[in-house]
Amino acid sequence: MENVIELKQVHKSFPNFQVKDLSFSVKKGFVTGFIGGNGVGKSTTIKMLMNLLQPDAGTISIFGMNYNKHEKEIKQRIGFVYDENVFYEQSTMLDMRSIMKSAYAKWDDELFHYYVKEFELPIKQKIKSFSKGMMMKASLALALSHHAELIIMDEPTSGLDPIFRRELLDILHSFMQDGEKTIFFSTHITTDLDRIADYITFIHNGELMFSKEYYQIEEEYAIIKGATELLDRDTEKEFIAIRRSNHGFEALTSNKAQASHLFGDSVLLEKPSLEDIMYYTKKGAEGGAAINT
Amino acid sequence: MLQLIRKDLMLQKNTLLIMLPLLVVYIALNASATILSGVLFTIAITMQAFMLDEKRQIHILFNSLPYTRKEIVTSKYIGVFCFTGLVLLTILIANLVIHGESPTWKELLFILCLTTLFFSFSLPFSYRFKSQYLLFASIGTFAAYLVVINVFIPNLHDLIREVVAFLLAMEQVQLYVLVGCALVIVYILSWLLSIRIYEKKMF
Repeated sequence: MENVIELKQVHKSFPNFQVKDLSFSVKKGFVTGFIGGNGVGKSTTIKMLMNLLQPDAGTISIFGMNYNKHEKEIKQRIGFVYDENVFYEQSTMLDMRSIMKSAYAKWDDELFHYYVKEFELPIKQKIKSFSKGMMMKASLALALSHHAELIIMDEPTSGLDPIFRRELLDILHSFMQDGEKTIFFSTHITTDLDRIADYITFIHNGELMFSKEYYQIEEEYAIIKGATELLDRDTEKEFIAIRRSNHGFEALTSNKAQASHLFGDSVLLEKPSLEDIMYYTKKGAEGGAAINT
Repeated sequence: MLQLIRKDLMLQKNTLLIMLPLLVVYIALNASATILSGVLFTIAITMQAFMLDEKRQIHILFNSLPYTRKEIVTSKYIGVFCFTGLVLLTILIANLVIHGESPTWKELLFILCLTTLFFSFSLPFSYRFKSQYLLFASIGTFAAYLVVINVFIPNLHDLIREVVAFLLAMEQVQLYVLVGCALVIVYILSWLLSIRIYEKKMF
């Protein structure tokens, strides 16, 4: 399978934070959800993918090319959506259209007007008067109108109401129909990914936790619930993190088969949500696998 | 890159529609200060265009579009000449229509030289810091200037006037070529410096 994005040992340092040794790839024709809490390096990674930031070390290749030599070719093929307004506030959708149109070789006016109509966007109204939802639709319309092969989005669903979030996911779903397009988007609202993501890339504190197919996560990870007596030094090793309460324990494992074999029928195995995985991974990484509540 | 210059002109449409008629009115009222008005109007219009693009979000936009940072900076450096050209054209036409005489080509050239010099310093400064600090820098320069005319060279104004009159009266082609070349070099160095600064920026 062809990789649209490839990061190899990417490193970027800031005074208070760093992205460490980040390597993952994004497959062509699929939706990859990029998850992690706030401030763990998602936006930094997306900025590096857009060449807004350059890594201190490591390589980033997009469509098999690097930004040093092929910046314009790469960007011609990317559509971007950010979680903030990056357009001139005083301008209208029509003004922005002419700016974008002159930048992209494959700009398609017909497609733009299709999206404008579909999203019910007022094209002569100043962008600063747009609501958060309209702003997102406007960004999407502008990102999708030049036949981009890769859509990169930074938290597109944050701040949107649940109805529009679902609409947005439908739009993205229909965009993916021809199998040639790729979407990479970051979010911390993990329920969005249940509907659309084929792959999940998870980072925490600037480090990659995993990058896997969605179904694979369901196969490997499990929430185990049982009596506290079952826990000892050996069994605790099976877990990423454990939450104890008066009623027993609840823990996350990344090796469902082994845990199932080890505990048998004495515990309850549940399918974890991505939120569970993020929560326990964060707790596990913060030192010690045990969480007492 | 031409698209970026066109974008600046498009976004400055309203500013131009206000500023250029204002310049015409100014010329109609006060015909003697062609150089000063030309320089001030060019600076005002060009800086307005620059400031509009100074927001972090707008940097993110243009750096995400298929433009290189070099092109973004270069478009501003070429844009300076577009705006100066528009101001010079307005001065030329307004003077011809209102006063029935055109300003001397030396005056127009002088405006071009002064604006080139101004932007050679202000553009890298604005890329490094922010254009809003230009005001503080200008106040600082002005304070230094006041100190100079009060303490060191009390007749500095007369000197400047003499130098300007002298330059405008010059016929020697060689001197013009020399000044022209010096300015071109300064402008190119400024352009290279701005690219260097902008390429290191993080958004």
